[in-house]
Amino acid sequence: MSSKDYILNALKSSGIAPQAMPVFNVAPRIDDLVGQFETNLNTVAGTLHREGGLTALQLKVDELISQGLQIISMVDAIKGNREVTATAHELRDIDYAVIPGDLGVAENGAIWVNNKNLGHRVTPFICENLFLVIEADTIVANMHQAASKVTLEKGEFGTFIAGPSKTADIEQALVVGAHGACSLNVYLA
Amino acid sequence: MSNKNSAVHAKKAEIFCQDEARVDWHSKALWTVREKRDRAAGSLPEWEQLRQIGSEMKLHTLTNLGQYLEEFEKNCLENGIQVHWAKDGAEHNRIVHKILADKKVKKLVKSKSMLTEECHLNPYLEGHGIEVIDTDLGERIIQLAGQPPSHIVLPAIHLKRGEVGDLFHEKIGTEAGASDPFYLTRAARAHLREQFLSADAAMTGVNMAVADKGAVVVCTNEGNADMGANLPKLQLHSMGIDKVVPDIDSASTLLRMLARNATGQPVTTYSSFYRGPQEGGEMHVIIVDNGRTDMLKDKILAESLKCIRCGGCLNTCPVYRRSGGHSYNYTIPGPIGIAVGAQSDDTNSIPWACTLCGSCSYVCPTKVPLDKIIHHHRRLKAEAGKLPYGKSSYMPLVGNFMASETMLNCSMSVARTALKVLPGSLLKPFSGAWGKYRELPTAPNSSFEAWFKKNRG
Repeated sequence: MSSKDYILNALKSSGIAPQAMPVFNVAPRIDDLVGQFETNLNTVAGTLHREGGLTALQLKVDELISQGLQIISMVDAIKGNREVTATAHELRDIDYAVIPGDLGVAENGAIWVNNKNLGHRVTPFICENLFLVIEADTIVANMHQAASKVTLEKGEFGTFIAGPSKTADIEQALVVGAHGACSLNVYLA
Repeated sequence: MSNKNSAVHAKKAEIFCQDEARVDWHSKALWTVREKRDRAAGSLPEWEQLRQIGSEMKLHTLTNLGQYLEEFEKNCLENGIQVHWAKDGAEHNRIVHKILADKKVKKLVKSKSMLTEECHLNPYLEGHGIEVIDTDLGERIIQLAGQPPSHIVLPAIHLKRGEVGDLFHEKIGTEAGASDPFYLTRAARAHLREQFLSADAAMTGVNMAVADKGAVVVCTNEGNADMGANLPKLQLHSMGIDKVVPDIDSASTLLRMLARNATGQPVTTYSSFYRGPQEGGEMHVIIVDNGRTDMLKDKILAESLKCIRCGGCLNTCPVYRRSGGHSYNYTIPGPIGIAVGAQSDDTNSIPWACTLCGSCSYVCPTKVPLDKIIHHHRRLKAEAGKLPYGKSSYMPLVGNFMASETMLNCSMSVARTALKVLPGSLLKPFSGAWGKYRELPTAPNSSFEAWFKKNRG
């Protein structure tokens, strides 16, 4: 008998009574979604730029380029100074990545990013710092609403990103900047 | 499983308790996490509703587990993900090694996975000449220190910054005497970045496996799972059969509770959904039983498979906080460790590392009835004739004694008098281990029964 058959066979004799799938009818908190999003983004150590949109972001990117930094942009309207590399490993010297997010989640400050907009999947993780761009009207109240809206087609990769990478593994002291990006700035387009 | 380091919980706890200041520090650090958890849970008016939904959804999945696992496998295959099944830890390790050996992998980067700890994967692979690098900061610390994790979410919670500083100085060349967490974390970032970039394969655990999509969800705060899985062209994910959930909304519901209950964050920094390998890459999922189908046959033990490994029960447990994660004689410590590990505990003592206070059950996001399960383990040990601490010899006597009203009343009266008239130093030895860290109580003037008759009767 294969191990698969062994496991499936063993599962036929369960000690627990049948249980119906529950209904997920959780009431969303729908007041001031952008405000909720900003509060929670701050909690997870990210920063929201409500005003200025893509123009403000391009000015910021231009300033960084003038300082000699390496910037890759996956947002059409924003021009960086680096293109998608042949291999993922060549992204190791990227200082800033600009990436479009599909939607934001008010209850926790997370932003859904799909691999179609990443070039290499590792882009939002390997960059030293991250800019995410979302449209204000894509912010949903909670993870239940996000679950019904995220795009994740066959074979794809997608991730909720909530703030810059962080750790508290040394004596519970919070350090921002673990293995992923060391900062996250979110621009509303 | 027999283990040369086996010792009953009380004995290992005594070692941990020798440094009282450290015990207080450990207990306080964990209680702070518990308080953060309370604030995060309290911020959602629907928290109790989420716990109920989470519990019912997990139970529903467990009662139809075969069907959901097959659906998960079918959808994975359609997404180009290769699926393997392992009856036990040994088979899991052989499968992983074969996948790695076929691709001539020399270096594997791993993100946190309690399952691979349970299967003792690292020593197995190292024995076959594969270098294994744990990449979660806490995991890397204990790997360099040659220790097992002492907590399922905070693996190095037992170590102080000075100890980490000394270790990093010796192993990765940080400055001698440096102990600033920011400096040490950035040094580890630089050190591990080189490992990510030079790895031949990456391996992660699985927080949830989404059946109707054929996708695995991996959560980290550090980004180490995603740095690993998205650089080399070979990615492996190991999961227990209990990790499958029906759909994305089920996974999202658990995501609402996981980080809030673990550390008090609204969500982990990265909650990543892998529904297939990267372009030109290869992705494998290994589904592991290792005793879980046996637990499912017992209706009380089965509920422990609802667990989502947030670690909330450890942070609140008065015994865990004051005895440390290395005292449990099992890979997973604390209440959930007792629930899922008591059967493999060759000292038969860990079900007694519990006051049955029930705090764990109240903080559990999927309502695992931990105190009930631990109590059940005591019964199972008794029925198997495996009571520890000499309990099998004296507990029947205590039972007979307490069942006799005359004997009980008479002896309590003697005890009250003795406590009043005899010096503590003479009585202390009679209290045995109980009195080791406690003062004897002050005796009341009369029994409760006599008081009740006089005042309320």
